[in-house]
Order: sequence, then C-alpha cells, then structure tokens
Amino acid sequence: MEMAMNKTKESSFRMHPQKFAMWLFIVTVVMLFAALTSAYVVKQSSGVWLDFDLPFMFDITTGIVIVSSVFMHMAYLSAKRNEVSKIRIYLLLTVLTGISFLVGQLIAWQELVQEGVFFVGNPAGSFVYVLSGVHGFHLLSGVVFLLIVAVAAFKYKVHSTSLVRIEMCATYWHFLGGLWLYLYLFLTLNH
Amino acid sequence: MAVTEVQLDEHVEHAAHDDHEHHGNFVTNYIFSQDHKVIGKQFLIAGIFWAIIGGGLSIIFRLQLGFPDMNLEWLRPLLGGWITESGKIDTEFYLALVTMHGTIMVFFVLTAGLSGTFSNFLIPLQIGARDMASGFMNMLSFWFFMLSSVIMFISLFISTGPAAGGWTIYPPLSALPQAISGSGLGMTLWLVSMVFFIASQLLGGINYISTIINLRTKGMSFTKMPLTIWAFFLTAILGLLSFPVLVAAALLLVFDRSFGTSFYLSDIFIGGEALPNSGGSPILFQHLFWFLGHPEVYIIIMPALGITSEIISTNSRKPIFGYRAMIGSLMGIGILSFVVWAHHMFVTGMSPFLGSIFMILTLIIAVPSAIKSFNYITTLWQGNIRFTSAMLFSIGLVSLFISGGVTGIFLGNSALDIFLHDTYFVVAHFHLVMGSSAFFGMVAGIYHWYPKMFGRMMDEKLGYIHFWLTFIGVYLVFFPLHYIGIAGFPRRYYSFTNFDAFSDFADLNMFVSVAAICTFGAQFIFLFNFFYSMYRGKKASLNPWDSNTLEWTTPREPGHGNWPGEIPTVYRWPYDYSKPGSESDFIPQTVPYTNTPESNLPHEAEEAKNEKV
Amino acid sequence: MLNFVILVSVILIGAILVTIFRAHTLVQVVRGNKDGESLGKSNKVNAALFLVFLIGGIVLFFGYSYTQFDRYTVPVASEHGEVTFKLFWITTAVTTAAFILTHIVLFWFAYRYQHKAGNTAKFYPHNDKLELIWTVVPAIVLALLIFDGFRAWVKITDQAPDNAEVIEIMGYQYAWASRYPGADGKLGPYDYKLIDFENQMGVDFTNQFSKDDFIPREIHIPKGKPVLFKIRARDVIHSVYVPHFRLQMNAVPGMPTQFWFVPTKSTADMAEETGNPDFTYELVCNKICGKGHFAMRATIVVDEPAEYEKWKASQKSWLSKNPEYLSSLQPASPVVTEAAKEEIEEAQASL
Repeated sequence: MEMAMNKTKESSFRMHPQKFAMWLFIVTVVMLFAALTSAYVVKQSSGVWLDFDLPFMFDITTGIVIVSSVFMHMAYLSAKRNEVSKIRIYLLLTVLTGISFLVGQLIAWQELVQEGVFFVGNPAGSFVYVLSGVHGFHLLSGVVFLLIVAVAAFKYKVHSTSLVRIEMCATYWHFLGGLWLYLYLFLTLNH
Repeated sequence: MAVTEVQLDEHVEHAAHDDHEHHGNFVTNYIFSQDHKVIGKQFLIAGIFWAIIGGGLSIIFRLQLGFPDMNLEWLRPLLGGWITESGKIDTEFYLALVTMHGTIMVFFVLTAGLSGTFSNFLIPLQIGARDMASGFMNMLSFWFFMLSSVIMFISLFISTGPAAGGWTIYPPLSALPQAISGSGLGMTLWLVSMVFFIASQLLGGINYISTIINLRTKGMSFTKMPLTIWAFFLTAILGLLSFPVLVAAALLLVFDRSFGTSFYLSDIFIGGEALPNSGGSPILFQHLFWFLGHPEVYIIIMPALGITSEIISTNSRKPIFGYRAMIGSLMGIGILSFVVWAHHMFVTGMSPFLGSIFMILTLIIAVPSAIKSFNYITTLWQGNIRFTSAMLFSIGLVSLFISGGVTGIFLGNSALDIFLHDTYFVVAHFHLVMGSSAFFGMVAGIYHWYPKMFGRMMDEKLGYIHFWLTFIGVYLVFFPLHYIGIAGFPRRYYSFTNFDAFSDFADLNMFVSVAAICTFGAQFIFLFNFFYSMYRGKKASLNPWDSNTLEWTTPREPGHGNWPGEIPTVYRWPYDYSKPGSESDFIPQTVPYTNTPESNLPHEAEEAKNEKV
Repeated sequence: MLNFVILVSVILIGAILVTIFRAHTLVQVVRGNKDGESLGKSNKVNAALFLVFLIGGIVLFFGYSYTQFDRYTVPVASEHGEVTFKLFWITTAVTTAAFILTHIVLFWFAYRYQHKAGNTAKFYPHNDKLELIWTVVPAIVLALLIFDGFRAWVKITDQAPDNAEVIEIMGYQYAWASRYPGADGKLGPYDYKLIDFENQMGVDFTNQFSKDDFIPREIHIPKGKPVLFKIRARDVIHSVYVPHFRLQMNAVPGMPTQFWFVPTKSTADMAEETGNPDFTYELVCNKICGKGHFAMRATIVVDEPAEYEKWKASQKSWLSKNPEYLSSLQPASPVVTEAAKEEIEEAQASL
C-alpha cells in the first residue's frame, strides 16, 4: 500500500494539492477584479464621469501594505530557519500592519466623504468604494488566515518541516498586497 | 467569494488507510459524506429533482401558450393567487415561470446536475485516484449547492413571486420592484441563491482541476486521459474563469438594488417619479453578465460532449476518431467562448464596429463544433454498433447538436440577428443545441454509468422506449419553434392575441404544447426505471459494456478509496477497441503493451520495450 | 369530481403499466432469456428506427416548410430588409444542406454499421487529411457567409442620410410614444426629470426647437424615403421591433440608440400584397419589460410621400394643444429641482 501511494505520488505533478487549490482560488479573485476594473474602464469611457482627487490616505496604506508583505516574508524565513520566537513576532507584526491597512482604508473613505464623493452617487465614486471595499473584504479574510497561522505558531506547529500553512498564508498575503498595488496604480492612472 | 478559508483535509494521510472500509454512521456515509461517489449521486438526485420542477414550470406556461382559452382553475391548489379570477395565469407570474424555468434548467440541472454529478463521480474513478483532492471541499461544494437550492425553492413560494425579469436578470427591470413585483424579495433571494451557487461551483471546480492535475495514477499522462476527463477539466477551467465575473456583475447589482448606487441605472422615470440615479449604464451589466453567460453555455455542453465521446466509442467498438482533434476542438471552443459574448448584444446599440468583430469571432467558433460532429459521425463508420440506451441518447445528442448548431450560423450573423434576435428562433436554437443536447448527454451518462453507481443495470427495454419518445418528442417540441421564430414571434410573450402580425400559428403552438406534455410524461418512464432498478435491477457484471477505462476495474460497488488494493497502472490510451490482431475487441488501459505483442502498432512496440511491469 | 376521476385513472394506468413491466420481466427470467439474443433483436429494431426517423423527419421538414411557406414568411417592406432576406435564404440553403447531409450520414451509419455477430469494427483512430478537409471547408463556407453578413451589417449600421425623416420613439411600460421635429426639422432636448402627467416624454418645451414638435397618436412614415428612429426608454429596457421592416433596436434608459431604414411598401401596398384589407404595420416590444410586455404595441402607417407631407402639415404642435403647460411650468420648475436636490442630500447623509 505504501508503495502504491509512493508510486502515485511519483507520477504526478509535484505541487501540494492545498497550495495548488490556493493558486486556483487566487485565479478566481483575479478574475473578479479583472471584471470590476474592466467595468470601470467601460463605464468611464461612456458617460457622465465625476473627477475628484483620490484620498491621500491611499498613498499611506500602499506603503503599509508593502511593509506588511516584508514582515510576512521575514516570518516565512524565520520559519524556515526554525526561529520560533521570531516567527511569532513577525506574524504579529504582519497582523498589526494588516489591521492598520484596513483602518487606513476606512480613514480614506472618510476623506472621500469629506471631499463630497459618496458611495451613492456618480459611479466614478462608487467604483472607488467598491474596489477598495471588495479588496478590504479579501484582506480581512487574509487577516483571519494569518491569525490561524499565528495560533499554530504559538502551538509550535510552524517550523521548517511544517511549512505548508505559512507558505500558503504568505502566498495569499503577498497576492493581496500585489492586488492593492495594482488597484492603486489602476485608480491613479485611470482617473 | 465569501469562502476564503477552506481547510483542506489531509488527503494523503486520508488515502493511506483506504483498504480497510470506513464504517461511519448514516449521517457521515450518506448525508455529510466526503466520498466523491456519494457526492456525485447527491448531485444527481438533486439535479433530477430540479429537472422535474423546471420541466413542470415549462408545462404550465406551455399550457398558456398552446391553449390560451383554457380554464386553469384546476391549478389553483398549486398556484393559488397566481391564477386570476377568470381562471388564467397571471401575466406577471407567466414571466416568473419562464424566468425560473431558465434559471433552474441552466444552473441547477445542466450545470450542477450534469457537471456536478459526472465530474465528481468519474474524475477519481477514471484517472485512478482514491478520492478528490479535498473531500471536505467537495462536501462543502454540495452543501452550498443545497443551500442555494433551498433558497431558490423558497423564492418560488413568496407572495410577491420569484424573480421574473428573465434568467438574464437585465437591470433596470431586475433592479426596480416598481417595474415588476418579482424584482422585490424574489430577486433578492435569486441573488443570494446564486452567490451560494457560485461558491459551490468554484469549490467544485478548484477540486476537479487540482484532482486531475495532481492525482492521476501512474502512467495516466494527459495524452492517455479519457475524453470525459478532458471535457470536465476544461469545463472546470471555464467555470473558474467566468463565475467570478458573474459575482462582480451581481455585486454591483446588489449595490444598485439595496444601497442606491448608479452602476446600471440612469435617467429613469417610473411609478410616477424620477429616480435620482444618473450616470449608470444598463449595457454594462449585459457585458459582464454575458462574459459569464456565454462560457456558461459551454460549461453546460462540454461535459455532455465528453460523455458522448466515451459512450460512442465504447458502443461502436471503435476508437474515437481524431482523439487529438477532439481535445483541440474542446480547447478551441473553450478559448473562443470568452471572446464571443457580445453576440448576445447586437441590437443593444453597441458600436457597429464591435458588432462586426464579434460576428467574426462567433462564426469562428462554429468550426471546432463542426469538427466534433464530423468526428462523432466518423467514429460510427465501419463500427460494430450496439444500441444500448446510453448509445441511443449519445447518437441523439449528436443529431440535436447539429440541428441546433446550424441555426447558430444565422444568429451569429449580426445582420440576420437584427430580425431574429429574441424571437422563437433563438428559443429553438438554444433549446436544441444546449438544452436538449446537454440533457441527452446527462441521460446517456446515467444509463452508461448506472451499473457503476448502483451496482445494478437499468432496464434496457424501458430505456429504448424512453429514448424514442424523448427523441421524437424533443424534435416535435423545438423544431416547429423555428417556423414561429421566422414568422417574427417574440419570446417571453404571454399571448399573441394582441397583434395582427402574430395572430397565426395557434395550431402549431397547440401542437408544441401537446408534444411538450407527452415528452415530459415520457420522462416518468425514466424515473421509474431509475428508482426501480436501484433495488430490483439485474445485478451488474464488473465491466458490462466491455469498456477500457479504469472505473470498470473497480469492484462492482467500489468502497471508500475505490480500489481495494493498489491503484492499477495505466499503459495505453482508453480507446483500443477492435485493434487488429487482438483476440478481444477491447484492451483495457491497464493491459501493458508487453502483454499484447500481437496487436501493437510500431510505435507501441517501441514503448513496450521501455515498459516496467 | 372530474379531477378526481382523472387522477384515479392516471394512477390506474400507471399501475397497469408497472404490472405489465413486471410480468414481462418475470417471463424473461423464466424463459432464461440470453442477453446476446435480445441485444441482437432490439439492436435491429433500434437501427431500423433511426432510418424511419430520418425519412419521416425529412418528409415532415420539407413538407411543412414547402406547404406552409406563406404562413411563416414575413413579407419584407424595407430596403435593407430585402438584403437580409436574401442573406437569410442563402444561409438557410447552406445550413439545410449541411443539416440534411450530416443527418443522412449519421443515421445511415447507425443503421448500416449495427452490431452483427462475427463482425469486427475497423480500427481507425485518425486521418489527418480528412480532418484538415472538414476544418477548412466549413471555415471557407463560413467566411463567405460572414463576408456577406458583414457588408450588410456595415451598410445597415452606417450613418443615416442627411435627408432622413427623424422621428423620436420612446418606450415606457407598456406603450410607445413618438415625437416629430415639426417644421424646423429639429427635435428639442429632453430631460427625464421634466416628465410629469402632462409632459409624458419629458421634453424641454422652453427650448426653441421644441416649440413646433408634435406628438401624434400614430406613427406615420413616408414610403421610399430614409427614416431615422431615435430611440430611448423611460423606465426599463424595451426593444423596438417591426418584423416587416426587419428592424430591431433596444430602447435603453439613459442611453439613446437609433436605427435608420427605407420603407418600400405603403400600408395600402401591403394590404394588397397580403390580401388583408385591415393590414397594419405593428411596432412591438421585444425585450422583457414587465407584465404588459406582451401587449406593448404601436401602429405604424406608411404613406405615399405626398400623403405623408399632408399628414405632417395637418399635425398641431404639442404646445398649441397644451397652451397652459408653459405658464404652469414657470413657477413650478425651480421647486422641482430644489426637491430633487434635497432628496439627493438626504440620501447622501443617510449613508
């Protein structure tokens, strides 16, 4: 039986099935945002379009998201090197930066409201809320994932021979960071 | 998209102790089962349930169309207030009926019922895997579908009625309860239900793809995979890429409906007041919707085409003609399906230049479809054909696919579409090419794999009767609709009595309705056969159709883990039927080339030298 | 009572059928029927039935198509309609040929190559040449059809000629309204916020171009002259569909569309051609729009050009028919916009 399993494993593709599933999930998220951003482009090219400044806060949150990705990577490296206490610290730092990103987005929304750009109104404004909101929702799920990994780290379950979880978490987190960079650039350029 | 955190169970550990049976309790074995075979059957039963509901709805509106003067008072116990005082169907409820018929058939029967059943059931069995990559995700996929089903079912019974703006839910009609009462709570439930449905599809699709890529048995290279698996694989990819777009479309619609944003709404005066929305575009929704919607019709038909390839080859006792061309055309259809969506929108006032681009792309997609049909026909040539019930339905599928396919050439031509758009011609077209074909594929699959699902055979004689009644019935229902369409009759009309131009064809409409009722009735023969054979059918042999694929190497009723011992190794493609030199007219995939020196082709003899058995 | 009888008889018939089926199965078991034999016999029957189906189907198809031709063909009454009508029948000829030939081959093969004991199927996995042929041939045929369709489409959707009669058509639940530019040949602007009980189309009658616009009860168009429909909708999507003109264009709220064409047959001509003295052109809605969708209709009258000019001259402008409208508007209009503004602000505040 063991032999059979080994044989089966030998013959197939070498990616861990869970990680592979994670990548497929990322594909669906990419498609979701591809749809939303192309809707934005289509709408912008046809019709009444409101011009306004993007909140300054978006520049700051973009910075935060980059720092957060760096922390995530440090956590991953420490896991590889089996530095248990460092894993915990970096993971917590990632969570903290993640949460501050979300808070930052909320502040950005407030900035928009003060500017007179509301969720209900011209689609130009609504799109900014929707894009950042849907991204924020995914980021929130990323934070939950991070917390799960962090709890595992406190139970000594994350180390160099058990990397799958933290690898998946890192992949997702970097993806979400990259996604925000894309959205930020997209909004800045198509304005 | 709501589901981000899905904890995968550890597949590898899980599979390592497969040969001792799992003795769970009833709940874990039959309800919250993680076994792909049980989940496949659950999808099948749910699909059959929805097919009866969806078919039943169509019978009700066919009564209205065929017998506009009939007193339908006797439906009052069922429909209650939707029957007016004069014994007629309420005009708004009529629209709800067509909407729900479309939604149920497209999503719940032909997507979940067909793809869900056979992808789940066949993928691990045909590629030689113990189970899906993640049994838990698979179970979740079914239960999200179930939740979505329950919500959609409830929406049929609310007082304002279910969604009634057409299954394509174009705003503003679907966004404004003032415009049609079904756009109130009914539409909300529709959207909620679809969110769960999409979650279910994505979970399923992720699972199918990762199973096919990661868990093939030794020797099962991509070029040795049965065409069923290729079809399921490409279908899952299409779903993964297109369903998120529907999420985006629905999300913006939800915001428009519930929060007052203006993505799709602009310049509307309704119910005596001007709405504040401005700057939106209803056409934007149509673009997003059809970006899913068009691949969706291929999500429906491709599994059926895969199933048919397998059945036609087995029962002609011949290899499928042009195995690579079959894969290539599936891929071609899959890729092209993403760049043709705007042919649903030729008359929305979109730029004529875009119209011509989409016309050209649309007609290109006819080429791979034609290749598939020709290849099926050539597979029959010089075969030794056994007409099992499954084979009959597969030949029926080819016929329907051609009949419905050729009318696509009219509709894809934007100049002709100006006249034919949204007429009964369209109804005839897609009911043949996508509705009936996919349905035939599903039924063929059930007849063919029933012995593996339930360990017993279905009654063949009843199968023949079921086929001939259904085949003739389907043609009698949908073929006349072409004439009605060419006469310019618009679809989704409650009755045609208000127009001089549409005063004719009452006789043909009545004929279609009678045919529809008979065809629907004939399906009960199938239902009887299905449930009766489950308990009283003849016990199946291990390989009743003398087929080559891996699922027939499992025990009569495969247990958890599918194969009691080692998973068999694959040495050859699945279509070695009637190979010259071979004693038997089929050589299963598990037979090495070294064992069949008498029938090996030159390049296979080469391969035999490198085989380690 | 009748219902009950029907119910009981359906149940009884079902029960009888099930009994027959069971008896039949038992007889087979007793006889010790061998699978192979029964396959042989029913195989023959099924194979033969495919031939019967083929012949029956072809007879029905051609029979009905030929004898009922006049019933299902809508007479064409526009210039571009003639083009698409021809294109339609060319496409029909090509596709019917493909449809019939493939079906003859499909069912003939099914019959001819049915299972026979001792026969072996031919191992024939592929033939690249054959596959290339049936990739290229459909591609060429399709390319030709596309080419024709493309030319027709480009012409139909081209800019309307300058001398076209401009008529505005507006769809709303569940009727059509039309507006003519009047003597100045220009339609005045409109705004959906101006719509009220009197001013159903939301025309801005303070504008000078609107002063002579008229809104008739029936749409008239001249025979032989280009006509441009400017199409819009007030509430949900509708679709302007006139089968005789081969004309269809969606009416979308917030996004005006248009369609131009040249009618070639007057209403009187059509009455003669169809032998129906009461013939009228009907403009129908062809996009699901609500419970009255199936009854959303307007009539179009195609006049000889001279008659048309006469009819047009006889129409009174909307303002002259509703003289008190403008005076009632002056004080009211700012209030309306004020209220709208407040509403928007409220909505924003509530968020």
